[in-house]
Amino acid sequence: MTTYIIRRLLIMPITLMGVTFLIFAMMQILGPVERSALYVRDVPKTENQINAIIQRYGLADPVHLQYWYWLVGRRDPQTDEVVGGILRGDLGFSRTGREPVIEMLQRRFPATLELALWSMIPIIVGGIWMGIKAALNHNKPIDQISRIFATLGWSIPTFVLGLLLLLVFYARLGWFAPGRLSTQFALEVTRPGFTQYTKMMTVDALLNLRIDIFLDALNHMVMPIITLAVIQWALLLRVTRSSMLEEMRQDYVRTARSKGLRERTVVNRHIRRNALIPVVTIAGATLAGLMNGVVVTETIFNYPGLGQMAAEAAVTLDVITMLGFALFNGILFIGAYLIVDILYVVIDPRIRLS
Amino acid sequence: MAPLLDVRNLVTRFYTEDGVVYAVNGISYTLDEGESMAIVGESGSGKSVGVMSIIGLIPSPPGKIEAGEVWYTGRDLLKLNQEELRQLRGNEIAMIFQDPMTSLNPVLTVGLQMTESLELHLNMSNAQAKERAVEMLQLVGIPNAADRLEDYPHQFSGGQRQRLMIAMALSCNPSILIADEPTTALDVTIQAQIIELVQKLQKELGMAIIWITHDLGVVAGMVQKLAVMYAGFIVEYGAVDNLYKHTSHPYTMGLLNSIPKVDAKERTRLASIEGLPPDLLMEPKSCPFAPRCTFAVEQCWVENPPLIQVAPAHSAACWRWEAVRSQTTEVGVAA
Repeated sequence: MTTYIIRRLLIMPITLMGVTFLIFAMMQILGPVERSALYVRDVPKTENQINAIIQRYGLADPVHLQYWYWLVGRRDPQTDEVVGGILRGDLGFSRTGREPVIEMLQRRFPATLELALWSMIPIIVGGIWMGIKAALNHNKPIDQISRIFATLGWSIPTFVLGLLLLLVFYARLGWFAPGRLSTQFALEVTRPGFTQYTKMMTVDALLNLRIDIFLDALNHMVMPIITLAVIQWALLLRVTRSSMLEEMRQDYVRTARSKGLRERTVVNRHIRRNALIPVVTIAGATLAGLMNGVVVTETIFNYPGLGQMAAEAAVTLDVITMLGFALFNGILFIGAYLIVDILYVVIDPRIRLS
Repeated sequence: MAPLLDVRNLVTRFYTEDGVVYAVNGISYTLDEGESMAIVGESGSGKSVGVMSIIGLIPSPPGKIEAGEVWYTGRDLLKLNQEELRQLRGNEIAMIFQDPMTSLNPVLTVGLQMTESLELHLNMSNAQAKERAVEMLQLVGIPNAADRLEDYPHQFSGGQRQRLMIAMALSCNPSILIADEPTTALDVTIQAQIIELVQKLQKELGMAIIWITHDLGVVAGMVQKLAVMYAGFIVEYGAVDNLYKHTSHPYTMGLLNSIPKVDAKERTRLASIEGLPPDLLMEPKSCPFAPRCTFAVEQCWVENPPLIQVAPAHSAACWRWEAVRSQTTEVGVAA
């Protein structure tokens, strides 16, 4: 198992390199002048200013040099300072955000992470739980109902569901609100009395012992969570259900029954453990689905996260911000799949021990 | 003395989308304490369903036990509820299965799979159960048994896995072991080892065994009693010597003739039974073997023959049993 994990960790930098190659290749579609937008902070007044940037960052140099500069930065021969370099945290300057892309990512990521983490609860708990229930009641009403819900959840477009929720729960019933916090708290959380430990509002509220802010933040997340979770929930439900049905037919289940084990033990100890192996693989893809989902969801509910940033950047043709988002997502995915691969060996001894 | 297990007129059917499957159509047999019997038949003859029915292992739905009684230690097993049956399974009546590669749970350690029934049925503590598990593994000939409890099934060979299954099945000291084609998936040398092992353990532990097999050759020398099944019926039943020497059903005759003989003097083609296996979706009204039978007369197409006694400890379900019997007795079916 240790060798497996070590090997897996050794592959990771190679995958990361691949991601940077892809992103860099996308930038090569642009010319040097357009590429200079990466480091432009103000609207350039003259052509000379643009040329200076191209010179300073080596944007017209051969491709391999450009890649190197982009990756680790370039020493400016005139001022002798190192400029650029994504490894140094310089992902360029965001036109939409009027701030460096890295700062924008840092500021907005906690909000998106918070949303994604909360969404994982209904997705994983709800999806797996209902999938198991459905399989155990194969072709009975519970199974039929869950299948209808799964099909609906899987086929309803995110933006339609989001708008429906807004119409019903915000406009008509007024139960839940969009945004991140109500106005009375929005200012308070920026004042000295409230420490933002994680920048995740629900977590910070609890750490500051402010149940009212916690509930308010949670209230604002209900609609985005539902919108974001439904598709992934439906997917996980279907995978869990079919995996359970598949495992229930296996010979070892008959053996377990022939040993006189209680039905509860047969299901929980024997069937479920095997059935969850493919589910874990899918759960990794869930994160990918969520990062796609946040773009539309955060935009609909005016939730200040990465997705909203990406959507704004896209409509204003802010390529630099988009690429920053893409790079960040790539790293996130690699991390997620690493976790999945490790989980996979933990639950399947056939991989762990071979 | 009353038999240990007394199965009377057991009927099991499956209600599927394609129609009713007449899997077991009223079979009766008895098993004495410590006795070995074999139920022989081709796939789909109802031999597995017949025994799985008695311990409640038939998936229901679609399976349903329609009639019958199964007497075991003064109780009719068919009248027990699921919970009572469960306490019996693995404890007093244990089973081993065909494919040891798939019959063990791949993600649980052998130790866990061995101890869970001990803890459940015999109320052992985990330490006691482990001790007993090691004992059982040694008994079935797994080397370094104590070190192997933490191993997973895929770390054992096919023959060893069947040994694990046997150890697991016998760990609670059952009075009946049902062996459902335990050697079919193994290669021939391992087959012999496993059969020898089970026979040795039977001598030591004294349980009764029901062998389920499609291979008359495998069980020939190791059982006292034989039941031949065809299309959900027992077509011939009795002491093994009687069946071999005075075969009274044409299907049994066909089975015996299709065993290859090592000592055959001439090179002859292996005999096979002509025709197709029966369609279990049709309610059997006439003799189910009639379409493939060389002895068939008009009566066979009209009426299904009951199982009648043809000699002491020997019965057959054939209208023409006398004709069959006289032929086999004269010529002698090599066994």
